[in-house]
Amino acid sequence: MLLDLARSRRILFVGGKGGVGKTSVSAALALAYARDGGRVLVVSTDPAHNLGHAWDRQLSDGLARVFTHEDGFVDAVEIDPQATIERHFATVAATMMRLLPDRLHASAQQHLDQAKSAPGSHESAVLERIAELVEISRDTHDLVIFDTAPSGHTLRLLSLPEKLTTWTETLLASRDRSERFAAAARSVVGTKDDEPSADAELRRTLIARRDRFELLRSLVTDSLATSFIVVSIAERLPVAESIDVVQQLTELGIDASSIVVNRRSPSDAGEVLADRRAREEEHLARLREAVGGIPITQIPLLAGDLAGADALSELAEHLVTAPEL
Amino acid sequence: MTPAESAPQRREDFSRRWAAFRDGLHEFYVGPYRQTFLREKRDEDDLFMIVVLGEALGVPDPAAFYSAELMPAVWEDFHAWHRRIGIPNSPLDHIACC
Repeated sequence: MLLDLARSRRILFVGGKGGVGKTSVSAALALAYARDGGRVLVVSTDPAHNLGHAWDRQLSDGLARVFTHEDGFVDAVEIDPQATIERHFATVAATMMRLLPDRLHASAQQHLDQAKSAPGSHESAVLERIAELVEISRDTHDLVIFDTAPSGHTLRLLSLPEKLTTWTETLLASRDRSERFAAAARSVVGTKDDEPSADAELRRTLIARRDRFELLRSLVTDSLATSFIVVSIAERLPVAESIDVVQQLTELGIDASSIVVNRRSPSDAGEVLADRRAREEEHLARLREAVGGIPITQIPLLAGDLAGADALSELAEHLVTAPEL
Repeated sequence: MTPAESAPQRREDFSRRWAAFRDGLHEFYVGPYRQTFLREKRDEDDLFMIVVLGEALGVPDPAAFYSAELMPAVWEDFHAWHRRIGIPNSPLDHIACC
């Protein structure tokens, strides 16, 4: 049951094809757990944010309280990569100015401005913010729910820590070799070699980086701490994509522990919808066959727009009570 | 100067010369290795430079966001580096080091 999952995990990723209702499911699950006394942080990583729409509130890169119930509450964040990029480069610039002589300051600043717009910076910034939010919510929240971008983006993002850990390791190894050559040359009499402080700083930076990636990677691949909920609808393409996502998560070592099939057509509301439902059954059967024992929760098609806590309540109710198949 | 005084004097002379000879020998055998080590270190550092400045040199760097943090360390050596790899003037417009 999804509420049990929320109670027992530290991080939940909610992913799936675009337009299947990831945001509604994230928000409703956050609501259900907050009513149960949970302190929840729900975070949208999709650049096309609609978490704010779900709560009927203007959200930003900082935490905003969107729901309170006795001890439980929901805080919401819409990640703003640009804000993270600005913050990151401001920190880097400060370090550079400290280490570099005055005459190089202008060039250094220009160079940094170039790096800011490099492809990939956006993605790294989202990852950076994810790591940050996981860290700062450690003592204040019981659960962080990430409402993610469509599958492709998210899977790439989740594979980044692993790749970047390798990247930092490689660079650190290069520093080690350089260091050893310098030491070897020094041990032979007659070289003057002053230990540059920049190099020590560099090494510290690299080690801090590596540790941060490593932490995120181990947390995300720890099935007792992190689970992935795949949201889908019972149509051909979303089902095909969900099967793909489950497969790729398994390859990444991430626990895909639950599937939500959203917007099931009713059987008693006219012939068109009844026909649809029959076709949905076929797609569902294919999904079930492909994903083995992962529990599937079905949510009926709900009337109205899902905006605000009251509207989310109905969906939350279904999420918590719907039988798993 | 009596022979009695000059004996220690001679010994000292000899030991000084001997030490110089030993140092010379040491340098003769070891010097080339030092050059090798320093060259290796330089190559290692050059590689690092390319990684860190990659984006600005036209090599797309997927980790530019993180490489930027490492720039201060290579910045000072940049001029020596581009001269060494055979580019007479700074390959980066905004780094006017020449």
